[in-house]
Formats: sequence, C-alpha cells, structure tokens
Amino acid sequence: MKRAVAIVGSGPSGCYLAQALLKAAPELAVDMFDALPVPYGLVRYGVAADHQGTKAVTRQFARLFERQGARFAGNVTVGRDVTLEALRAAYDAVVIAAGLSGDRRLGIEGEALDGVIGAGRLTRALYEHPDADPLPPPLGPRVIIMGNGNVAIDILRLLAKTPEELAGSDLGPAPSKWLAESGIAEIDIVGRSPAAQARFDAVMVKELAKLGGVTIRVEGAGESDDADARKKIEALESIDGHGSGPRCITFRFGLVPVALEGRGGRVEQARFRNARGETVTLPCSAFITAIGFQAEGSLPRDALIGAAADPEGGSLAPGLYAAGWFRRGPRGTIPENRADAQELATRILADIQEASPRPAQEREALFRRLAGHVCYEGWKRIDAAETSELPQDRCRIKIPTRSAMLALAHQTRESGQ
Amino acid sequence: MKITVLYGTETGNAEMLAEDIASELQSEHTVECCNLCDFPPDAFKSDHLYLIVCSTYGDGELPASAQPFAEALETTAPDLSGIHFAVFGLGDSEYEETFNFGGKRMAELLAARGATQVGERAKHDASGSDMPEDIALPWAEEVIALAAEKMQETA
Ligand SMILES: Cc1cc2nc3c(=O)[nH]c(=O)nc-3n(C[C@H](O)[C@H](O)[C@H](O)COP(=O)(O)OP(=O)(O)OC[C@H]3O[C@@H](n4cnc5c(N)ncnc54)[C@H](O)[C@@H]3O)c2cc1C
Ligand SMILES: Cc1cc2nc3c(=O)[nH]c(=O)nc-3n(C[C@H](O)[C@H](O)[C@H](O)COP(=O)(O)O)c2cc1C
Repeated sequence: MKRAVAIVGSGPSGCYLAQALLKAAPELAVDMFDALPVPYGLVRYGVAADHQGTKAVTRQFARLFERQGARFAGNVTVGRDVTLEALRAAYDAVVIAAGLSGDRRLGIEGEALDGVIGAGRLTRALYEHPDADPLPPPLGPRVIIMGNGNVAIDILRLLAKTPEELAGSDLGPAPSKWLAESGIAEIDIVGRSPAAQARFDAVMVKELAKLGGVTIRVEGAGESDDADARKKIEALESIDGHGSGPRCITFRFGLVPVALEGRGGRVEQARFRNARGETVTLPCSAFITAIGFQAEGSLPRDALIGAAADPEGGSLAPGLYAAGWFRRGPRGTIPENRADAQELATRILADIQEASPRPAQEREALFRRLAGHVCYEGWKRIDAAETSELPQDRCRIKIPTRSAMLALAHQTRESGQ
Repeated sequence: MKITVLYGTETGNAEMLAEDIASELQSEHTVECCNLCDFPPDAFKSDHLYLIVCSTYGDGELPASAQPFAEALETTAPDLSGIHFAVFGLGDSEYEETFNFGGKRMAELLAARGATQVGERAKHDASGSDMPEDIALPWAEEVIALAAEKMQETA
C-alpha cells in the first residue's frame, strides 16, 4: 500500500524534503500544509525583494506539485484547523517544517517603546505578508539596526536604497512609498561582538558598494587571524569610505545594548556598553532589532523538541519529525536546509518501512474535510494575478491580504467548476 | 553519442537543469546524469562527451557539490587529455565581479589537466529573464554537434 507523508510548512525545508522524498520514492504520497494560502515560506516573505535570483529555487519547488505528485493545502494552520494528532493518525510520517517567525527580543529596558521594531515584523510588513502588522509610521531621520547577520544587512540595504535602485524587485506600491518617504538621514548598524565574529557573509557587505545614495563609514573593524573572519573584515574595509551620498551609514562593533530610552513613549536614544565598560549613547528615531527569531504560533515547539527522542537527527517521536529552522533554530541559509532535508528524507524512508501503512481512506477524508484550503491550482491563480499587468520596474506585485488571495484561489471553485 | 551530464549545485537549480538536459537528450543519445560529488576524477572516458552544469556560490566560488570533485582533481592530478567537455554555468549578474565564476573555474580545472573544451561556455543569469533550460537545450545541441566533429578527428 502507498505510504504517505504530511509536511507542515512549505518553506525551503519542507519543499526540499518533499523533493528528496519523491526523488528516492516517486510513488510516495506527499501532502504539504501551509498556514498561508501561498507556498514557499521565507523564500517569498523573507528573502529580500531585491534578491530575486535567490528566489529562483521556487521553480524547483513548483515541479513538486506540477510533475512529482505532491499536493499543496494552503490556508491550513496545523494546531488550529487540524491537530497534529489527527495528522499523525492519518499519515505514516508527519514532518514539522514550520520555521520560526517570532522576533527574538533583546530583553532590555525600553523595548516596548514606539519606534522599536523587530526585523521579522518589519520584513513581513515590507514584503506584504498577509498576517503582518501594518507598516510603522515613518522611521525618522536616525535609524539604528541592532544585529550583525544577513537579515540586518538586508534591512540596511533596503532602507538605504534609492527608489530607482529597487527596480526589478517585487516590493509593492505601499512599502515602496513608505521607503521613499522614510526621511532617513543616518543609519547605524551595530554589532554586539567585534566584526570578526559577525554573522553576515562578506558578499552581503560587498554588495553595499553598489549603493549610489550613501556614504559608508566603518568604525573599528578590528583584526583577526581566522581566514573566514578576515574575509568579513576585508569586505568591511573595502566599503569604508564608499560614496558621498546623502544617507550616512555607520558600522559599529562591540557595543552591548543596555537600555532604550525615550520620552512620550517613543524611543529617542539607545544606551550601549563598549568593550572597555564605558557607556556609549546613540540618538535614534527608530531602533530595529535583527538578532534572530523564535517560535511563535500554534505549535508547541519547546515541548515537542524537549520531549524529542533524537532532536539532533530530526526525530521528535515515532512518526513525527522536525526539519529546517523549526528543528535547528533560526540559523542557516537555504542550502543548509537542503542538505538537512536530504538527510532527513533518508531517515524517514527507512523508518516508514517499519510500521504498517495507514489506510488511505481516512487520510483522504481528512484532506477533504479541511474545507477552504487552497490547492496548488488556487495558488497558480494568485501567482498569475500577481505577475500580470505589472508596472515596468517590478517583477511581481503581491496580493497583500488573505481575503483577496482566497477570493482569487477559490474563484473557479465557487463558479461551480 | 555517449553523454554524461555532471552537475555542481548548492541550492539545486543546476541539478534540475542537468536532469532536464539529460532527459531531453535521452531519445537520441546514451545519457547519464551524475552529481559531481559522486563522480571520481579518474572515471572520465574518452568516448564520452561531458556536459558540466555548474553554479557559483559565495564570493565567486564553486558550489558545495562541486568542491570535493575540484579538490580530488587537484590532489590526484589525473591526465585528462583526450577527454571532451563543455560547460554551462549558472550565476547571477547581481554578483558583477564574480559572475559565473563557478563554471569558469570548472573549465579551467579540467583544461589544466589536459581536457579539451568544446564550444563556448554558456552563462545563465538568475537576474535575467531567460529560463536556464531555454538557453541550455540549444546550447547542448550545438556543443554535441561540435563534439561529434572533434571526437571523430581525434578517434
Ligand atoms: C528576513 C530573512 C531573509 C533571509 N534571506 C535569505 C537569503 O537571502 N538567502 C538564504 O539562503 N536564506 C535567507 N534566509 C534564511 C532562509 O529564509 C531560511 O533558512 C529558510 O527559509 C528556513 O526554511 P524553513 O522551511 O525552515 O522555514 P520557513 O521558510 O519559515 O517556512 C515555514 C513555513 O511554515 C508555515 N507554517 C508555520 N506555522 C505553520 C502551522 N502551524 N501550520 C501550517 N504551516 C505553518 C509558514 O507559513 C511557512 O510557509 C532569510 C531569512 C529571513 C528571516
Ligand atoms: C549567497 C549566494 C552567492 C552567490 N554568489 C554568486 C557569485 O559570486 N557569482 C555568480 O555568478 N552567481 C552567484 N550566485 C547565484 C547562483 O549561482 C545562482 O542563483 C544559481 O542559479 C544557483 O544554482 P544552484 O541552485 O545550482 O546552486 C550566488 C547566489 C547566492 C544565493
């Protein structure tokens, strides 16, 4: 009898897992559930709007549904619309690849002030995630970005770009207008550690040398004997002094945030401690935290991982697995998820031979019962609407609300076809 | 013709393209498709044409699946004279200074061991509007025709 795997989440880890499973076992049934009406997770809503080349992996993922027989069930939140237990009863294996979407907090005084914004919250709003909070009021003249990962650099680049430099992206009209009217004059990007320990990739830093409207300064990039660290330091040195544009970008390192302070409920300055133990204060009209992500939502990650038989290997319980950011934590790029998924696929394929297969009938009944779900064809209708009649300088205009997405997705179904 | 499509990939695009090329050529040729990380450098055969599909990663580096092959090629230094290959590179012109360096590096590595490159090195641009397979299939036809001539000469 045909075995079946349910994958919760259709981001890169879920998709690469489906790919690896179906490559090794083409007859396997693979159903992918996503809380959103649209697939591909952070490839759509995290990878920067001006990094379209990176999003080309979705062409591979589309094949899963178009040629390899995987099914997409969007608009289904596991843990709310269907329980994990119900899925586990119906499928031979269930894999949680639900990512981590909550912003990790600094845990310092003043974090609740207006003008303090998490990177996840900001990127979701900029990339028009249907569940995003609205875009905040304009950031004002002086922005601090706290964090030294690739996400921090993405945000820096987007805030620093001129409207013309966003040509070819999929940034929507409202976020584009918001960026154009941000009023930003200065951006400080601040790392808690020395530059040698920064998480960002050297290429991400070098890319900043293409920006036309900025002046870049790097304070205290330091030194290192480590080859990897040296690459980063050299990249920073290569952009130090770049440009003479109106927006001033300053890289600062080794500043541990101590408190955010403001009046009238709005952030006005950030207090740090440097390596010598001295206090350093930087004024700001907005403070963006880009220091990582944590679990948020309808699946009890801590409990699941805590009770796991072999969390490192991706096994949570018999027939239950975790993949991608949900398993590993918020680290690692798209290729790491691919390597991981390939390993996990081997393990799952070996494991499911051990138990007797679950009957297909109950599974199909459950699948049909998830009324209002968006199938792959529904997503294709959304995709078509998003990529037709485009302005010249955009490659896609996302549908920003869930209701509009659902209306498109269910169009032919409701007209009785 | 006997054709082996070898791919070096980081996020899978080159793999998908290699499989597309292989299945397209299947009807007229004897075709194998293999990840470079599973291909030992002493396995090259002079009666095969090797189509190398390789992306670029990091700062103009070879993608992960091509790296063990490149290392083995350098440490074992096999004599590849009489071996014919063509290269299809994948890259992104957003990375101006290192655009398609992965394919370039593969071509250099093989040529340094005496292998003969056939045709032009093709370069796909992820920021361009062409789909890789739309460029790769005509490219494959072209290099196969060229290789047929060359391999006859040398045989
Ligand atoms: C802002 C940002 C930019 C990034 N840029 C890059 C980049 O340029 N290059 C790169 O290589 N990596 C980048 N990354 C990292 C990359 O996005 C991650 O490595 C990758 O997306 C992790 O994949 P995942 O499948 O584990 O999670 P995700 O991509 O987050 O996918 C999880 C999916 O699960 C769904 N889901 C969540 N909860 C449920 C539920 N209860 N029921 C059903 N579905 C659910 C979500 O809707 C989502 O679609 C970036 C990350 C961020 C945050
Ligand atoms: C982090 C990163 C670094 C890259 N570096 C380069 C580069 O230096 N030069 C280039 O031409 N392309 C570069 N690319 C583009 C890739 O080569 C391109 O996206 C390709 O389609 C990936 O194919 P793959 O999935 O087979 O690895 C880079 C892509 C990413 C995401």
